[in-house]
Amino acid sequence: MTARNPTSVELLAILDAAVEAVILIDAHGAVEVFSRAAERLFGYAADEVVGRNVSMLMAQKDRDLHDAYMDRYARTGVPHIIGIGREVQGRRKDGSVFAAFLSVGRMADQVPARYVGFLQDLTLRDQALAAVVRERDRANRYLETIQTMLVALDTQRRVTLINRKGCEVLGCREDALVGLDWFETAVRPEDRRDAAEEFGTLLAHGTKMPFDTEYRVQAADGSVRLIAWRYVLVREPDGSVTGILCSGDDVTETRRAELEARDAREQMMHVSRLATVGEMAAGISHELNQPLAAITTYAQAARRLLIASDFRDADITDALEQIAGQALRAGEIIRRLRNLVRNRQTQRESTQINALIEELGALTRVDARMHDVRVRLDLAAVLPELELDPIQIQQVLLNLVRNAVQALEYQESAGREVSIRTALAADGDVEIRVCDTGSGVTEDMLERLFLPFATTKSDGTGLGLAISRSIIEAHKGTLEYMPNMPRGACFVIKLPVPEGPNS
Amino acid sequence: MKESVPTAIVIDDDDAVRSSLKLLLRSVKLPVTVYASAQEFLPKYSVDQPGCLIVDVRMPGMSGLELQQQLNLRGAMIPVIFITGHGDISMAVEAMRHGAFDFLPKPFRDQDLLDRVQRALEKDAANRREIAQTERIRELFETLTPREREVLELVTSGKPNKVMAADLGVSQRTVEIHRARVMEKMHANSLAQLVRMSMDLKESAHPDSQGGRRER
Repeated sequence: MTARNPTSVELLAILDAAVEAVILIDAHGAVEVFSRAAERLFGYAADEVVGRNVSMLMAQKDRDLHDAYMDRYARTGVPHIIGIGREVQGRRKDGSVFAAFLSVGRMADQVPARYVGFLQDLTLRDQALAAVVRERDRANRYLETIQTMLVALDTQRRVTLINRKGCEVLGCREDALVGLDWFETAVRPEDRRDAAEEFGTLLAHGTKMPFDTEYRVQAADGSVRLIAWRYVLVREPDGSVTGILCSGDDVTETRRAELEARDAREQMMHVSRLATVGEMAAGISHELNQPLAAITTYAQAARRLLIASDFRDADITDALEQIAGQALRAGEIIRRLRNLVRNRQTQRESTQINALIEELGALTRVDARMHDVRVRLDLAAVLPELELDPIQIQQVLLNLVRNAVQALEYQESAGREVSIRTALAADGDVEIRVCDTGSGVTEDMLERLFLPFATTKSDGTGLGLAISRSIIEAHKGTLEYMPNMPRGACFVIKLPVPEGPNS
Repeated sequence: MKESVPTAIVIDDDDAVRSSLKLLLRSVKLPVTVYASAQEFLPKYSVDQPGCLIVDVRMPGMSGLELQQQLNLRGAMIPVIFITGHGDISMAVEAMRHGAFDFLPKPFRDQDLLDRVQRALEKDAANRREIAQTERIRELFETLTPREREVLELVTSGKPNKVMAADLGVSQRTVEIHRARVMEKMHANSLAQLVRMSMDLKESAHPDSQGGRRER
């Protein structure tokens, strides 16, 4: 198809179809053509406008300027609007004012000059803009009022935004931080390296999941707060990471309270261990007196043999060997006791539960011998290592074994046996059972069994089982009672196997 | 178990204590046998075995105190020295109440133990001599006629011949003859000796405590 000029019918159709209002004026500003869209925009019918000055369509401010523009252009030929376009204020028939974008063209070869104006209604745009501003203000209010620190960092670790709470915690103004390296400025030097490293790793291997971490920040006045952070990656629509939004809660007080509670709990456990050892004093002295008696007797016998010069070498060497062995036996008991009563912080170690139970033998024997009870070990051949505090778990086991031994007090001496059994449970937990063949737990005691100060013993504190359960629960395990078959009590400890590369 | 040789018998469930005691007693040339439990010891024990026991109070199965009661029931009078790792006073008291010879807390000085063992062996020997003596007197007593037994009773209660003659309704001369026969049959050299023999007899017929222990 070759280009041709449109006919006037076609031009009129184009004029009426245009979304933009089209207005033709002469050199004096009188309206010559007023399109359908113009009628809709201004609320005037074309015949109400045609022939009248275009300034009637303008708000007061533009009206004054318009005449001056026309005048100057006519005089100087320097356009102020032609070919450029600008935002103007329109005035409707009902007097209301609206924003519109006006572009103006001068018709070619027309003398005197005639102009065509295109007006684009900006009302919707302004409404949208206003909505955006409202939303922004609201978001800002949220940002400013929430009691969570919000810090946005770019990929260069620079602060791009920090909310009021953030400033409050750090004791500085927003503009004092924006643009600065967050880790160098706000993070406590001791935590700086790790925190920054973590940040870098997260940026490099970005994840969709929020990432939680904890480190300390340092306020302008030198005070230090512990903050629990949640990181969320900020992405462009194309998926590229532009930074990280960090929300942080001040957990300084919470953590301090937790630590104090933990200290109190540990203190209680320690006191309970001391009490246990106190209750075991008679048994312990027996366990120590046995090797001591053997040692002194061997030594005295050897001395007599040597003085009498009437001996076989084997008698002397055997005695000396026995002395050394018995001294070690006594030392082992003391070492176990010392470990048990040492005041120490909780420490988790990778531990073989079977080895732990075997080590405990030096102490469980104390009560067992006192009460003429046999302690039978039935240990699973292979068990995964557990992450636990060995002393605390020994405390629990010792407590359970002592309870079991005491439960057998009125039992025929032939059947006095406590068994400690370890096994891998079907759900993958490690299970330890301490069972006796005593009279079991009575129905009415069952409910209160694990409550503090619930005891049936005249000399018991009633704290043993309560503390034992709290220790096991702190290890994310369970401690339950179940009747032993055909008779007696059974306490079942279940401890989770840590998830590791080996599992 | 060789009879007639006084032997120290050690009963203790602790291997080391047991073997060390064996070595100590051997070092002073005392015959010694050891057992790990009361149950192991009891069936092998004969009341004719002289010696003494060194027994741990607390042992699995049968305790030292239970063993002592068993021995008492059998009329065994072997002295028992208890040893214990529990410095337990109440247990010591109970043991002594049941006729323990002595009580020694572990650990102990060798001399303390050896002294006690020595005394226990002497005590056992004395007991056995006493029993043998009483047995002999009883045998002699069995040879007396009923009338001679009456005379013995009266003589040892301090009655003069004249009174006895009246009591028995016989002549004083007859009493003198009976009396001479009694002295002869009982192998008594003096009235005093006859009195002591008579007391022994009465005592063994009515012992004031089981096993006849009167002293330490």
